[in-house]
Amino acid sequence: MTRADEAPSPTSSGPTESTLSRLKTKVQRFGGNLAAMVMPNIGAFIAWGLITALFIPSGWWPNETLAKLVGPMITFLLPVLIGYTGGRLVHDQRGGVVGAVATVGVAVGSDVPMFLGAMIVGPLGGWLIKLFDTKIGHRTSSSFKMLVDNFSAGIIGGALAVLGMLGIGPVVRTLTEWLGSGVQFLVDSGLLPLASLIIEPAKVLFLNNAINHGVLGPLGAAEAAESGKAIQFLMETNPGPGLGILLACLLFGPRMMRASAPGAMIIHFFGGIHEIYFPYVLARPRLILAAIAGGAAGVLTFVVFEAGTTATPAPGSIIALMAVTPKGGHLGVLAGVAIATVVSFLVAAVLLGFGRAEKARELQEQVAAGGQVDGNAKQKG
Amino acid sequence: MSTLDASTIKKVVVACDAGMGSSVMLAGQLSSSLAPYSVKVQHSPVNQIPDDADLVLCQQGLVSRAKAVKPDKPVLGFTMFLGDPVFDKLQKAIRDGGQLEY
Repeated sequence: MTRADEAPSPTSSGPTESTLSRLKTKVQRFGGNLAAMVMPNIGAFIAWGLITALFIPSGWWPNETLAKLVGPMITFLLPVLIGYTGGRLVHDQRGGVVGAVATVGVAVGSDVPMFLGAMIVGPLGGWLIKLFDTKIGHRTSSSFKMLVDNFSAGIIGGALAVLGMLGIGPVVRTLTEWLGSGVQFLVDSGLLPLASLIIEPAKVLFLNNAINHGVLGPLGAAEAAESGKAIQFLMETNPGPGLGILLACLLFGPRMMRASAPGAMIIHFFGGIHEIYFPYVLARPRLILAAIAGGAAGVLTFVVFEAGTTATPAPGSIIALMAVTPKGGHLGVLAGVAIATVVSFLVAAVLLGFGRAEKARELQEQVAAGGQVDGNAKQKG
Repeated sequence: MSTLDASTIKKVVVACDAGMGSSVMLAGQLSSSLAPYSVKVQHSPVNQIPDDADLVLCQQGLVSRAKAVKPDKPVLGFTMFLGDPVFDKLQKAIRDGGQLEY
């Protein structure tokens, strides 16, 4: 059947595919850079999430003094860390320093956590000091190098902080608020599960970190700063859809998948390394429908239970999910994971024809390879 | 398809998107299986593959990114994270010092 599909347009399918894959690579790289600013700092996000879950008035051990940590950490520490990391990615330590200073400019005086702003001015600061170093700085004689290095970083960083506070900050703040109310609209109107239509396919194309840490994480942190928890943290990290697919592959998948599925399930569900199930979907692309259905069912359940977590559960292990769920929210989170697993499993099982289709396909492949149906098929060299 | 003399491989770098999850897991597994042949295995984000890598290993979906970052490095793609034949092929080539196709 594939032969018939390929035959009519051997020339036209080539360029389209390579353009597509180039686009995919570009999106992956851009998203990878967004995630690379956030991911090295996840420890700080989790520290903030745990402190919030423990000490705020509705937490496990409400404590007025310790709850004072919550505000400054989300308003300053986390954006500055992102801005520093973003600058460092562009131009090492010097880029990081300028990026951090620039980030303070957008963070001060903002009533929403400035993650988006940090992701813009951090790398911008790194890029500007890199520009200075490569165009002007390297011409300085060695006796004045330290003086020029320190003051160039200081002046560029300081200027960016002022510019950030007066110009970039207000613009990004408005944008962040729009995005936030956009998500809120989706939650209120019950349309949020539709996000799975984008999230799940993007995930298996290895855009999982870009989506989660580059987009949903910053949105969720802004939400969590306001209400103590955010559903955005759960939308990509829910291990349910992947678990359902792996379960279906274990029972009904082709032979190669069946063998590795049990180990993959442990690594996925408890270790939180979701990448492990992507190849199963990429090998049988229609399984993406199972991931979408499971993901959407999970999100719907989270919406119904008003579930959320205090920080990004990273990696997306059930243990991490439970650890960052606020007091009283565990039932909703568990229900979302369980329902996503069941729905994804059922859809995947149907798509795999409960194993019948795969057995027929194995038989067909053996016949096509010129081997005997009995499993005496020759190994391909 | 080009080939690489497996006996020249001293350092294998496993790359994934963030360099924190799947690459760490795979590097851990591979380093114990390649340790007897004094081959070092390291993990890294695909955007920051170190210069001293002799061979880069990553999932098929990331191969083009790895090649964009390090056009002159041999990049070997695998499909499954568990039990992919590529890992056996690599270990066998390093053990026997043969040619490795990538």
